[in-house]
Amino acid sequence: MKIVLLSPELFRAEGGIARIMRVYLKALCEICGPTGEVRSLALNDTNDFVPPLNRYSNDRLSEHLGADRRKLRFVWRTIRLARDADWLVCGHIGQLIAARLARTANPMLRYALIAHGIEVWRPYNFFERWALRGADRIFCISEYTRRQMLRFCPGLNPTRLLVVPNTLDPNLSPKSLTTASAQPTILSVGRLVRADDYKGFDTLIEAVPAILKIVPEAQLRIVGTGDDQPRLQTLAAQLGVSEHVIFVGKVSDEQLSDEYAQCTVFALPSRREGFGLVYLEAMIHGKSCLGARAGGTPEVISSDTGILVEYGNVPELAVALIDLLRHPCDSEVVRRHAESFAFPHFTNHLAQALRY
Amino acid sequence: MCGIAGFVSSETSPSDRSVAVERMCQAMIHRGPDDAGLADLNGATLGMRRLAIFDPANGRQPMRSPDGRFTLVFNGAIYNFRELRRELEASGHAFHTQCDTEVLLAAYVQWREACLPRLRGMFAFAVWDSVEQILFAARDAFGIKPLYYARRPRGGVAFASELRALFASGEVTREIDPASIGEYLAWFTVPAPRTMFSGVANLPPGHWLRCDQLGRVHTGAWWHFPQTHGDIAGTYDEFVAGLRAQLEDSIRVHRLADVPVGAFLSGGMDSSAVVGLMARSGAPKLKTFSLVFGEAAYSEQSSAQLVADTFGTEHHAELITGERVVGDLPKIIAAFDQPTGDGINTYYASQTARRGGVTVALSGLGGDELFGGYGSFTDIPKLNRWLPRWRMLPQAIRQTILKRLQARPDTRSRKLVDFLSHARDLHELSSLRRRVLPEATRLDLLAPEARRHVERLGPHHPMLEDFAFELAGADAFQTVSAWEMRTYMADVLLRDSDVFSMAHSLELRVPLVDRVLIEWLWLQQTAFKFNPRILKRALADATRGIVPDAIKQRPKQGFTLPFPLWMRGALRPFLDEVFSTSSIAACPWLQADAVKQLWHQFINGTDNRAWSRVWTVAMLIQFCRQGQAA
Repeated sequence: MKIVLLSPELFRAEGGIARIMRVYLKALCEICGPTGEVRSLALNDTNDFVPPLNRYSNDRLSEHLGADRRKLRFVWRTIRLARDADWLVCGHIGQLIAARLARTANPMLRYALIAHGIEVWRPYNFFERWALRGADRIFCISEYTRRQMLRFCPGLNPTRLLVVPNTLDPNLSPKSLTTASAQPTILSVGRLVRADDYKGFDTLIEAVPAILKIVPEAQLRIVGTGDDQPRLQTLAAQLGVSEHVIFVGKVSDEQLSDEYAQCTVFALPSRREGFGLVYLEAMIHGKSCLGARAGGTPEVISSDTGILVEYGNVPELAVALIDLLRHPCDSEVVRRHAESFAFPHFTNHLAQALRY
Repeated sequence: MCGIAGFVSSETSPSDRSVAVERMCQAMIHRGPDDAGLADLNGATLGMRRLAIFDPANGRQPMRSPDGRFTLVFNGAIYNFRELRRELEASGHAFHTQCDTEVLLAAYVQWREACLPRLRGMFAFAVWDSVEQILFAARDAFGIKPLYYARRPRGGVAFASELRALFASGEVTREIDPASIGEYLAWFTVPAPRTMFSGVANLPPGHWLRCDQLGRVHTGAWWHFPQTHGDIAGTYDEFVAGLRAQLEDSIRVHRLADVPVGAFLSGGMDSSAVVGLMARSGAPKLKTFSLVFGEAAYSEQSSAQLVADTFGTEHHAELITGERVVGDLPKIIAAFDQPTGDGINTYYASQTARRGGVTVALSGLGGDELFGGYGSFTDIPKLNRWLPRWRMLPQAIRQTILKRLQARPDTRSRKLVDFLSHARDLHELSSLRRRVLPEATRLDLLAPEARRHVERLGPHHPMLEDFAFELAGADAFQTVSAWEMRTYMADVLLRDSDVFSMAHSLELRVPLVDRVLIEWLWLQQTAFKFNPRILKRALADATRGIVPDAIKQRPKQGFTLPFPLWMRGALRPFLDEVFSTSSIAACPWLQADAVKQLWHQFINGTDNRAWSRVWTVAMLIQFCRQGQAA
């Protein structure tokens, strides 16, 4: 099987989509078979070789190209790479029109879209609908995302939309030897940007005063940076909890693993998580999770692994966090739950979806 | 029909738990004047007040299973309890009463939470499992019976049928949640799962709740609108015959009681259909109740009398005047535990029915939601067709149009701005259509503390995404119908019906809000259910030969009171006082100047439709004043 993988980026920047696209690359290299090959094209990457590529591919990767943010070059290369391919897997809806054009050039080509989350929870324009209706598969990372796509594009054939949950990066399995901190610690991870204010970092900070009344030594650690950080720091100061809210900033993968290992509870009460890979990362470290009853989060956090709260309900959030700080979930049960999303399961799932 | 309460906390002593639950039950005597009960169990205490409807001499609660493992408290009525009882007897269960409570307990013992889809009726119940040390609670599919709960920060959960009971327990603090103020101004009510109060939740309709020994609560939905195909009529005649059979069946089960049963009769299509079907089903000398007003334009006296005469009912018409409402307002406001912009009609109708000698009354509530009686059923699909064309306009043109509309102070323009700015599909249109105040007006009325929460939560209904998820694949009629059922009907109409009927110890039943009927109707072809040119044609045809033609041909009026006239007349002194600076100060989340302006615009204007917006705000202020006094 010859497969073309289109990605917004793989290595140029670090974000949720880049991380999951690397895992897709690795999985497709395993799926394509001994005589198959995978060709990778990333819109924002350059052609330069990057060492981590070896960790996410094998000898089945015949080409890895970047378009260096040039869209016309990207479309042209897509058509060229796909001219004798069997499958084209597209990592973002913004690139799906290129996939549709590639099929015009190669009528035998089948193409699939990976639908991550908020980028597909909206009405589509004419060209997007055209490209979506031609898609042979749409891999939705959660049932929630699947239903959102059917909501905004009612003409889609529901049987072509398959749920393929995200997985943990097998190269980032927990290696931290650090043990949990003695201090009750709530960890949150994400981009602190104004455009993503739905993540709920402000509600976490607003919950801290109520938490401190019952758990006086508790701390909230927030990993990540962005233009919303000053507002969040001001909010913590206004509430008089600056000493208990630590802005950790940007960290390496190893440091992040340590943060997960040291915390008592992981919390991201976000309104719009397509899946919430960070919950899985926390769970593989055995940590209880708190999320909002919104988006794809309820498909990841179960009653054995954490608590779901209503987005924006600060009193409910505070009580739930106190609960988890005082009585965390059984870490072995949490870890086993995360393992059900492990890479081998993901690869099998994806292979079945391509053969279905 | 009862009031139930409970307190789960292994960290609290049994005597303290009992005191708390006893207090909660005391606060709900009006819900159940006939009996009371309390059970102290290992880790939990359950209590109830009973209004006896089935087998009044037996069926005491809390009720324990024969082996002592499960203990139940239950509020509501299970209409198919006799069928379930036969099924359970065949499985080896023995029964000692003729009461639905005993059957519900056995059903839970037999099937655990899988019993829920088997229940036909209205219910909120809780079962304590003394072996697993788990509390399981559930609410009926449409939210006819209420259930509130609060988690204590130090562990433990208290639940009750009314919020006032939770506060009476001494375990839950009565603290208004600033985020709820904005929600109330948008929706006439605070939609579930929130309530007006911090840390107190309303279990949404069709949901269960599980509370473990640590007091940790998990909730989930047990009922959704059906997705699978069922018994679908092929022709309109088949559909009408099927609907008639479904309606007759629903009326048959809703009439079951061991106490006198009557009906509300407004003279509209829905209540006339219910009364007609009751009379046809052989109800002996049926008692019916309606409200009449001196203001001729609002009174449906002649229609109600026509229906009563047609079916030979013993009809009671109660005259309601603005002066009477003024005198009763303190009692009415004291009856609700969260503010409401609606429901006074139900208060008086329930009072009239109870005084008229019935303990159970049937109402036609739900007909508009099922058969397309609201304007939203025609407006929303039209707007939805225009939205893609609107989005195709260049951004600059759209912004210019929006700015011009925003500059206009009238509600119609502001609502249009909401649709054009925030709606992307049928669900978002349905969400915005049910708003009382447009977003710009809401923001104007709110002080910064409350506005911050509104800006975080956005202009849409808080359950938007859940409903859109549940209704994937539904057509436009189904979508609007489900939105009406899930929002206005559940959070306003049914909640007010429960609160105000219970204030008079009356069990109010809603045969059109019947799960079996709705599941059947949901799957039928929309063209059969709804004709935009003929109002409620399906219901009219299904009750042909029962409901008089004069009623079918009347324009829709609704069960409304002459508020616009009263607010400018008898209620004016009360409202002048409510909108005074000192009164508004009781609700510090409101901008006093903007609130006063809203009142003055109504008083000095001629737009009668604005009354509900003004009344909604007045009830909020009065509610805060009452809380302050308490």
